[in-house]
Amino acid sequence: MGQRKGGIAGLWYDDHECVVAATKVREAGFKKFDAITPFPVHGMEEAVGIKRSPIPYIAFGAGATGLLAGVGLQYWTSAVSFPLNVGGKPFFSGPAFIPVMFELTILFAALSSVGALFAMCRLPKIDPPVIDPDLTSHKFALFIPEDDVGYNADRCEQLLKSLGAKEIKRLSDY
Amino acid sequence: MANHSANHAAPMPGQFVPSQTLRTIYSVAIFLGLVLFGLALFKDGDRAWYGFLTAFMYWTNLALGGLFFAAIQHVTKAGWSVNIRRIAESFTAFLPIAAIGAVVLLLGSKHLYIWLDSDVVAKDAILQGKSAYLNPTFFVIRLVVFFGLWLTFSKLIVGNSLKQDQDGDTKWTLKNVGLSIAFLFTFALSYSLFSVDTLMSLQPHWFSTIWGIYNFAGLFQSFLAMLILFVIYSMKKGWLRGLVSEDHLHDLGKFLKGFTVFMAYIGFSQFILIWYANLPEETIFYLARSNGWWMAISFSLLILKFAVPFLLLLPRWAKRTPSHLAMVSVLILIMQYVDIHWMVYPNLDPYSPHFSWQEVGPFALLGGLFLWSVTGFLSKNKLVPVKDPRIDESIHHHVVY
Repeated sequence: MGQRKGGIAGLWYDDHECVVAATKVREAGFKKFDAITPFPVHGMEEAVGIKRSPIPYIAFGAGATGLLAGVGLQYWTSAVSFPLNVGGKPFFSGPAFIPVMFELTILFAALSSVGALFAMCRLPKIDPPVIDPDLTSHKFALFIPEDDVGYNADRCEQLLKSLGAKEIKRLSDY
Repeated sequence: MANHSANHAAPMPGQFVPSQTLRTIYSVAIFLGLVLFGLALFKDGDRAWYGFLTAFMYWTNLALGGLFFAAIQHVTKAGWSVNIRRIAESFTAFLPIAAIGAVVLLLGSKHLYIWLDSDVVAKDAILQGKSAYLNPTFFVIRLVVFFGLWLTFSKLIVGNSLKQDQDGDTKWTLKNVGLSIAFLFTFALSYSLFSVDTLMSLQPHWFSTIWGIYNFAGLFQSFLAMLILFVIYSMKKGWLRGLVSEDHLHDLGKFLKGFTVFMAYIGFSQFILIWYANLPEETIFYLARSNGWWMAISFSLLILKFAVPFLLLLPRWAKRTPSHLAMVSVLILIMQYVDIHWMVYPNLDPYSPHFSWQEVGPFALLGGLFLWSVTGFLSKNKLVPVKDPRIDESIHHHVVY
């Protein structure tokens, strides 16, 4: 199910060696390669060259939208559509609106962050390719996809091997 | 990293030496403050003592914030903060002076607290009802107990940290966990009551059950701002090279942003319940703060103590740029003064705020003493707890995205 992106993966048994190799692969000019590790590895973001996520900006924009939506909703319901006199307070009562404004800010920001994460990571993945089941326990992989700049299966295999990869897996292997 | 031995070779911090400028600043502040406070007492006793109370709360809060911060680092067994913990601990050097300040405050307490006047209480049924708590003897006992507890805990917790500098024994770290837990429980209760005694009882008919937390929120927010300024100052002098980096500033900035939100949250929680219920006995507090310029000051707290610093601290770069972070910290420290002024001064004049040399006097006096005692502590001790077992974790502290 789904389209599998071809490519080549090198496996390491040591997280530090994998980080060093990732730096070298990035320096070799590859842009779209990824690291697959069983746990967050210190320094891996820098080594792979992962840029900052745009999710904080999406969350901020969505939060600001939620804030305005909170004002708009309450202004419309309390002061325009169905004005009710509550305790002699003005129809448009700022302090009374703040809790709802706050809640909608959080709701919009949180849901948009999760939504953006799903969209950017193309989740949910029904049937992700399994390079090696041990990547969830004690092995560390670098995966170079075939659409990366200057991709050449043999050259990549040479590169990964020269960087100390213990195993090499091509797309056909899994 | 915690299993590294304490004698592992770590970079040594530089020696904190207060510069000539710094020494001139606090000497002038102490001298000028003393003169102005004396003149203020001569001119208008009531106002001088209101000014003293405001300054006393401001600087005492910062000293207590240092002890509170050190305690939560011990309780959470934090590694990242080891290299900045000593600077927080140094703020407690002001606590003995704060205790003397409390005695001085007692001298002027008749100017501040009407419930100390037995003639007033005799005519006031509400104050009679509260007299089991609000009476002169119990007030003095409470102040003695509170400062006694705080001084004891700071002597023990900071003392253990300093002893570790000598022998590098991990037992001091372990001892401080239990002590810090005990202190945090004690502090929660004692500081709440302390803020009720010193600030809420200025208006003894009025009450707010969230008062202690609101004061604590301002305490911790302003403490973090002051800590950031001291850390940046020491970094600029090069004393923390290889020990404290912008990653530590990043986390301090997050802390500051978090407690900026906390302060607004608590402040609003206090306001909205009173505003909604609209009961005369509760609304008097906000009514006194909505006349004339007081209204502008009330709004300035919302905008300049929350909205502006919050937005200025939001981006990642903002917390990693020392000059920017220092600017926001200064804003928060100014607004903390405005906040305490806003709690205290409407009891002197509910129609107009007052700020002049009479307020500057005691603020400069205690501020100068604060700088003198804190820089004195830092010059006598190492700037970083060099033999803390978790120091490696702090040296290699790294904030991932």
